[in-house]
Amino acid sequence: MIEYIDVYKAFDVPVLSGVSLTVETRETISIVGPSGTGKSVLLKTTNGLLVPDSGDVRIDGVSVYRSDRGALARIRRKVGYVFQYAALFDSMNVFENVCTGLPDGEARRARSPEVLRKVCDALEDVNLDPALVLNKIPSELSGGMRKRVGLARAIVGRPEILLYDEPVTGLDPVNTATISRLILEIRERSHVTSILVTHDILQALEISDRVALLTHGKLRFVGTPGEFRESDDPVVRAFADRQAAAQAAVQLVENDGEEKTEEEP
Amino acid sequence: MHALARRTVVGLLARIGRTAEIVARHAGEIAILTWRAAVATVTGRVALRDVFAQLQTIGVGSIPLVAVTSILSGVVTSQQGGYQFTSSIPLYVLGSVVTSSVVLELGPVMTSFVLIGLVGARITAELGTMKVSEQIDALYSLGRDPVSVLAAPRIIAGTIATPLLVGLSNAIGVFAGLVAAQFAVGLGPSSFLYGARMYWHSWDLLYSIAKGLVFGFIIPVISVHMGFDTRGGAEGVGRATTASVVFMIITVLVLDATFPPLFLN
Repeated sequence: MIEYIDVYKAFDVPVLSGVSLTVETRETISIVGPSGTGKSVLLKTTNGLLVPDSGDVRIDGVSVYRSDRGALARIRRKVGYVFQYAALFDSMNVFENVCTGLPDGEARRARSPEVLRKVCDALEDVNLDPALVLNKIPSELSGGMRKRVGLARAIVGRPEILLYDEPVTGLDPVNTATISRLILEIRERSHVTSILVTHDILQALEISDRVALLTHGKLRFVGTPGEFRESDDPVVRAFADRQAAAQAAVQLVENDGEEKTEEEP
Repeated sequence: MHALARRTVVGLLARIGRTAEIVARHAGEIAILTWRAAVATVTGRVALRDVFAQLQTIGVGSIPLVAVTSILSGVVTSQQGGYQFTSSIPLYVLGSVVTSSVVLELGPVMTSFVLIGLVGARITAELGTMKVSEQIDALYSLGRDPVSVLAAPRIIAGTIATPLLVGLSNAIGVFAGLVAAQFAVGLGPSSFLYGARMYWHSWDLLYSIAKGLVFGFIIPVISVHMGFDTRGGAEGVGRATTASVVFMIITVLVLDATFPPLFLN
């Protein structure tokens, strides 16, 4: 279980203004909201990448910020983090990148068959062919492939918690659907607790047990996708309407495409 | 007029205050980085292979440019000294002037400048890029300490390689001066070496190597710190790299100026 307790964080201006949220074990929750409202900042407080000005985050009852350094290291081993732009190490190939997701001791035995099998399994879990990508460096991969390698790196150590920071930003609809499906598959297979920060309301409603709306540094809504869709809150409605608008736009593009295909001889 | 003067003074004091605050912040952070790197080294958390890789890059990779600048330093010192000594001063004194100039000053300082441009700027740009592309955060999230993985190997390698490069630079510079003296003013090698030995102190070599040790430590420390401190995309990386180079040059020159009163009296 992850507990955010009255988390405050400011840079030049306040970003998080007292966020409290409990994420149950094996739950998938999406945090949505306008840009710059502190979604990624909240996610980064989960494993100490950003330290809150006040408040606390507890994972399975252990404080991330009020425990010793050993506790933080143990927490980080429990948590896999999928970065917005994958954050793969430029100087390493795919094998070495995924290897870094293994516990320290295993990563040092990088050439052992057991480690190779784990890396290959993780790549296959994200629908990548190890034979094709293992020796490639990140700059040789497409955006979607990089995100999937980032996902493989996050899951190779079999974490109990997965944090996704804008996992589909910048991806085309096919890759977006692929990543969404992978998130669902990983959840079903590994029974992980997942927190997803996303702009994609459709994705959030489709794959989450609960959705949280963060505006002006505070949680405005927390509920199931059904409750989100039926909420009377005008701000929540604006997001729901935006979803409807997006669906209409997609429909329009698809219809347009079909008409052009029919016109072709 | 009075008000204008007061505004000017207040503005000047405010600027000095801001600069002092920035310098103090950097100094504090550099001290913390140095402490953390020392702890990582002493506790055996630095991989030897990373240190060797950095020794290869910083040490071996810098040899050609260090050699070129050393040859030119020796040749120019010899030619200018010869030009000045053509009247009353015995020409063999040129051997001492060239040797002392190269060993006491030009060898360590020119080597440091080469390392600032060749190594320091690259370290800041490399780590700055890793910072803005969240690769440093990725290391933290994977339970790796960037100070152990990235900073300490560079600092150790710089501290080991630079005194050796200074020694090499001294040897090349003096030899180039010896050859140039023969061609520029007709001073033979035996007379050159006679002059060099006449005023030679063994302490001078130790002094030169000590300078190399200090500069070789401070260059990677500053460049790593500035890399870790980078903010704000590609522009931020450029800004950090420029600031890092300026910071390193000023620090080396200030430290260089403190050496004679401390060690040559």
